[in-house]
Amino acid sequence: MNLRVMAFALCFASGLVASEATDRAHGLEEAGNSAAAREAWLGAVRAAPQDASVLGGHAEFLERFKDNGARDAWRAASAALKSAGRAPEAAAALRRAVLLDLIAGDQAAARKDTQDYQALGGSAIQLPASVTVPEKRETIQIPGPLRSFARMAALSPDVRPEDLMPALARNVVLNGYQTSHGADGLEETEFLKLIHRYLSQARELEQLAGAEKVIRVTACESAITADLLRVLGFRMRGGCGAEVVLETVNAPRAFITTDSGFPVAELEQALRTNKPFTYDYHPSVAAVVYGQDYWVSVKEKKEGGFIDAFLGDPGLCRFYLGLTKLDPETADALRRGSTTVKLRAYANVLDFFGGNFEIRDGKAVLPGGARSAAIWADLAGVSPDKGAEFFERLMSRDDGWLASLYDALARIQGPVQEYLTDPVRMKRLYSAVRGRITTPGPARPVFRSNAEMMLLTTRLQLDPDGRAHIPGGLEVWKDLFQRNPRGKYDAKLSKAAASWKDSDDVVEALFALCRKPVDNEPLSIFMTLTDIDRSRPQPLRPETVQRLVRAWHIYGAQFATFNDVPSVSDRTIVAWLDQAENIDKIRDPLFRQDVIGTMQGLTGIWQIFSRQGSVPADKADETLFALIGPFAAMKSERELFDAGRAGLAKLLAVTGAQGATIQEKMLGLLAGGPRIDDTAARAELMLQEQHIFEAQKLLNPDLLFELADNLEAVTKGEKLNAQLAARLASRVADIQLPRNSMTGIEKNAMAFGYYVDKHVQDERKVNLRALIDRAAKDPDKLKDIRGRLAPTLRDTLVGYSYVHYAPAGAQILMTNPLFVRGHDFLGMQGGNHSWQTTQMFGNGWPSNAGGRLVGSLAGLPYALAESEQNFLIPAQTQALIWGDLVPQMMIAARTPRFWTVTTAQMHWVGTHMRLGESLVAEAALDPVRRVELTRAVNRVASPNRAAMVMSAVAAAQVSDAISLLTPSELYLIASAASAGTGAADPHSREIAHLRALLPEQTSTAAISHAWGTPKPTLANSYRAELLNLKTFPTLMGYSSRIMAESWESNLLYWADVADQAGIQPAQLNLLVPEWTQKVVERIFASHLEDWPALLRSLRSVGEELHDQNARAAAGAEKAAGRE
Amino acid sequence: MTDYTIKHQTRRGKQLTRRGFLAGSTAVATGLTVPLFAQDARTPVFTSKVDLVVLSFTVTDNKGKYVNGLKHTDFRILEDGIKEKISTFSEGNRPAMQILDDGTLKPVVPADAEAISTAKGSDALVGTNVFVLFDTSNFMYKGFVYAEDAIADFVRGLDKADSVAVYTFSRNLSRAASLTHDRTDAIYGLRKAVAGDDTALYNGLLLTLRDAAKVPGRKVVIVFSNGPDNASMVAPDDVRAVAEDEGIPIYVISTNDADKDPISTSVFRRIATQTGGKAYWAKTWQKQVEAFESIREDLGNSYTVTYYPAPNQNEGFRKIEIQIAGDTAKRYRVRARPGYRPRAY
Repeated sequence: MNLRVMAFALCFASGLVASEATDRAHGLEEAGNSAAAREAWLGAVRAAPQDASVLGGHAEFLERFKDNGARDAWRAASAALKSAGRAPEAAAALRRAVLLDLIAGDQAAARKDTQDYQALGGSAIQLPASVTVPEKRETIQIPGPLRSFARMAALSPDVRPEDLMPALARNVVLNGYQTSHGADGLEETEFLKLIHRYLSQARELEQLAGAEKVIRVTACESAITADLLRVLGFRMRGGCGAEVVLETVNAPRAFITTDSGFPVAELEQALRTNKPFTYDYHPSVAAVVYGQDYWVSVKEKKEGGFIDAFLGDPGLCRFYLGLTKLDPETADALRRGSTTVKLRAYANVLDFFGGNFEIRDGKAVLPGGARSAAIWADLAGVSPDKGAEFFERLMSRDDGWLASLYDALARIQGPVQEYLTDPVRMKRLYSAVRGRITTPGPARPVFRSNAEMMLLTTRLQLDPDGRAHIPGGLEVWKDLFQRNPRGKYDAKLSKAAASWKDSDDVVEALFALCRKPVDNEPLSIFMTLTDIDRSRPQPLRPETVQRLVRAWHIYGAQFATFNDVPSVSDRTIVAWLDQAENIDKIRDPLFRQDVIGTMQGLTGIWQIFSRQGSVPADKADETLFALIGPFAAMKSERELFDAGRAGLAKLLAVTGAQGATIQEKMLGLLAGGPRIDDTAARAELMLQEQHIFEAQKLLNPDLLFELADNLEAVTKGEKLNAQLAARLASRVADIQLPRNSMTGIEKNAMAFGYYVDKHVQDERKVNLRALIDRAAKDPDKLKDIRGRLAPTLRDTLVGYSYVHYAPAGAQILMTNPLFVRGHDFLGMQGGNHSWQTTQMFGNGWPSNAGGRLVGSLAGLPYALAESEQNFLIPAQTQALIWGDLVPQMMIAARTPRFWTVTTAQMHWVGTHMRLGESLVAEAALDPVRRVELTRAVNRVASPNRAAMVMSAVAAAQVSDAISLLTPSELYLIASAASAGTGAADPHSREIAHLRALLPEQTSTAAISHAWGTPKPTLANSYRAELLNLKTFPTLMGYSSRIMAESWESNLLYWADVADQAGIQPAQLNLLVPEWTQKVVERIFASHLEDWPALLRSLRSVGEELHDQNARAAAGAEKAAGRE
Repeated sequence: MTDYTIKHQTRRGKQLTRRGFLAGSTAVATGLTVPLFAQDARTPVFTSKVDLVVLSFTVTDNKGKYVNGLKHTDFRILEDGIKEKISTFSEGNRPAMQILDDGTLKPVVPADAEAISTAKGSDALVGTNVFVLFDTSNFMYKGFVYAEDAIADFVRGLDKADSVAVYTFSRNLSRAASLTHDRTDAIYGLRKAVAGDDTALYNGLLLTLRDAAKVPGRKVVIVFSNGPDNASMVAPDDVRAVAEDEGIPIYVISTNDADKDPISTSVFRRIATQTGGKAYWAKTWQKQVEAFESIREDLGNSYTVTYYPAPNQNEGFRKIEIQIAGDTAKRYRVRARPGYRPRAY
């Protein structure tokens, strides 16, 4: 009997023995076959419909997999137990039904089950007698329907009434005003002008709608028709009847009519058919927090109403936005403790950094707790015990620097927070980041300007002695600050560096540099090297770090490669730098780009294979060392071809891949995972890869190497294989020239791309027969001929990385046959693009040959996703693809592969989600559990959202509370709860069972690897991992990239969905990109930090899949019943 | 042969069966597979595939007037100089006729309508599937409502047999109305269009062509834009190549003057002529209406033939030539796409 059965038996039926069918069901579930287990449970229930043990086991099983039938199953189990005279156990079964009722949002069922539970003598449930009415907020009316106003104001139509005004405020702040031409003030943008025009038209229409707020046109010839059409800006062409057509007569009005989504076509159809037209024209309702009087004066209200006053005052909008970011308790305390004028003066600080302010019982909650209270009081000049006053001073003291420090420290927890909030240290850090001149503060620009500080506090690593880890040691950093060959970063810091004594000095200097809004090179170096050291068994040696620091400016983007594979030795890193520097000395640009492309192509493949385990960890270092060795002194194309060929052979040999051809092995390996298997999912992925390979007209390495061998034989007097030569000629003829016809202006503006065109032209010119004739039997010249294949081999090697990272659909790769060949490794002359991160270039130039990628392959996954994102088709007309977020979501769906993920790891996540939901439901029923949940939610969510969640929990609105939590938050809450021992609920037992059974698969590291996402900006790596961070805001210099990387919910959510549906992990390699695309296409966000919109979209796709699965299961059940 | 090769070929086999049926079960309805390059027995085989070729064209006389009433026997279709056997023939929006071995004609009657109409609202056998691609980017802001009126008029005036879809684009594509016979549905979709921001014309056109390519039968894409593109990742000529290969004529109505934007003008001209369509420069509403009228005429006066290409080793661009028999042919001008590339998979 396994643990699961035992636990259930203890709980429900100590004397009962599980039947053979239930044992089989458990076995199947353990083997990862939940579909068959479901069947087995159904069989067991049919065989023993009154057996409480079987019914209870069935209910637990269904609950584990979030089956809609779980509630009924618990009720059935309860009834059976009751019949058996076991009332307490029957009540316990009903208690689970109540929890599931609440999770499902079925309040009526929850009340009914609670009553039944109490009838059985249960007393542990205290469901509120009626649903608590949430705090009543004052509302305003905006003329016209919400969908119209939302269209005009660029808001999601799904926005909740209470979120409408903050979202509108943000759009007005970001898009509503621009610097006035020829004046000091601001002027309205076209966006805002259109909103005003819309409101004006809506008011006219409102009048036509009358008291009942419905626009009615009873017949084509009715009196209202002309009035309505005039307001709309249309007129009738043709008389009433079938011929009538509406056409524009007043373009500005007609534009507003159409743009706001007024149903013109429906009106036209009604007029044509002489049928009544009715259109509900009730106004939109928006909640105004604290009431209108708090925000605008009576005079302003009278002049045009609240909405006009709001739109007309960007300062008011910023203030509204800032204050609504606070949790209610904090906001109330601040409002009571300060004046509107004072708070409004610091609206920008409130907006950016207020989200983490917390006042509880009148006192400020402090990062660092009581230990740091004195220093916070010292820095702010007010005791934290005076919460409102403290935060007011925090904002006003230095134009936001202290508030930004508070925000950065409040976002983190644990030892790093303790380290940074040490009173003495914190004072130094604040002093550094504040500087002498405080303006402009970090909240002045559109995005937060001191983004680096947030990165530093989040990613700082501590050594075992509790001090900050300084890669390479203190001397390296002293040297960098004192003797940076490219100029000093900061004169004062350079001077101070001479007397640095410990790691705190370096950290202080880095904090000081966080004042710089952009291009904080030392911090970027520090973070990258910290990330490399973090995952290595031994940190990098000081001399290696010194070398890397010096090389950063040119080669820094490549260092993430070393981070992806922690087993790379110092020797190999140094050798890699040597080779790269040697390559840069090659004078011939054409040859240099081929050498760079070939080396990066090989390194890119090695990186993929090492990351996925097909190159074993203990072989990764020696493999890379061997790959780059031949690039030390590359002199000819022949040497380059041989190096490329040898490199590919080495890579394949070390993977031990089996396959008939090189191409087959390569595609098999690129599909992912340590080994090639024969699953249908892999075959499908390989087919997709081959399609891209063919669309790019790349040459198969088997053909190239066969030709090279034949050419070698020719040097020994054999004849050229005519068939092989013809195959090459046929393929070469198929390569097109770039189809561009740029104007002079465009050519001058782009100023590069010449060597790309030359590269393609040279490939087309390869004619083996002519080359052999020209060699005139000179053995050396004959041998050199294979060098002419080097550029083609380069494309093939580079193409393999493109193929591996190609986003779903891959429209560009399937349409532009020169996209891989056109990869520009040189970029603009003198620009050092060769080793910098991949960038998209040339989009939106109709006369060029399409967009292309420039730079190294270091950022290829992101660049490919970025260039592909606008091919996605939003599900809703006016929604746009969310730049920066979407590429990250795409690479998070594509780069991790799931070949080594197990069903147990899916179930681990799924069970945590169930436990998380269950904990929220328990908290609604039990005040003690509510306190525990409050603590847990506060750890993972912002104070405002935590307050919203707990408010919903207190009102027993469990499904609402769950919908406010992201999947990763739910997972973290459950993880923390399940870490303790002895919890009696079924999910905690299941987690304990899995942990005991499969400790390696369920370790934190294994789960992080299985369901983590790549974070090229935040963690300098494409290796998948979970960082469990609070979501970041948009940051200057990074826009939404870091914010997107901090979102870790998607894969955890898909793991849960797959677990519920019984999907095998291998299938996720195909399904996750597909599901993610659907999510992206359904996102309708109002602004760049609209996480709820993403969450809605994610859940809508998940629920669709859940429903599909439920229908399929019901069908199968019905079919089984018929049998 | 590897496992995935087998799967690939099986899938392709299924497609061919369906496409063969689409052609009216003609005796010659078989696809052609040509190895991309010779492979030894161990090498995975990836093949190029040629499906049914749909070829729409117009014939005009030396005064530019449409020539109607020609028979299938009046035409000779050559692909790289190789004579092709015509499977079906139709003129304007009349139903397609299957050409039997003895040269007689028989209406193409689908045995299974569901198999024929794979796309909702589409009819493989009669009429044209018209995809209207409407530029709603901020470049079109000023003429937005007039453009909508012109498109609405065009949709209303389409032949009953035609299906129409309305797509809009700015930075992204939006399927405002899927392919439908119902003009009201199409206009409802059109009137829901919303003004956008950046212009990714060629991205949008590519996606429209991809959708159109999935629909059996004759199809055209009509682009309504003022020309500039500031966001596309794909080049116009790569998109044109897709249209050429899929046999989808592109008609372009530019709301700009031809001399205003020479880059867009030359691109539009090239795209239209090389796919068998036409380009118009219509800045005013009246000219736009006239352009649409001209397109409607073109659709109503074109011939459509289908054929399965005879064996041809050419894996690259295959040149199509349409010859008209008889002495009068010299006075006639045929407008059609110049050729296509077989698919590489």
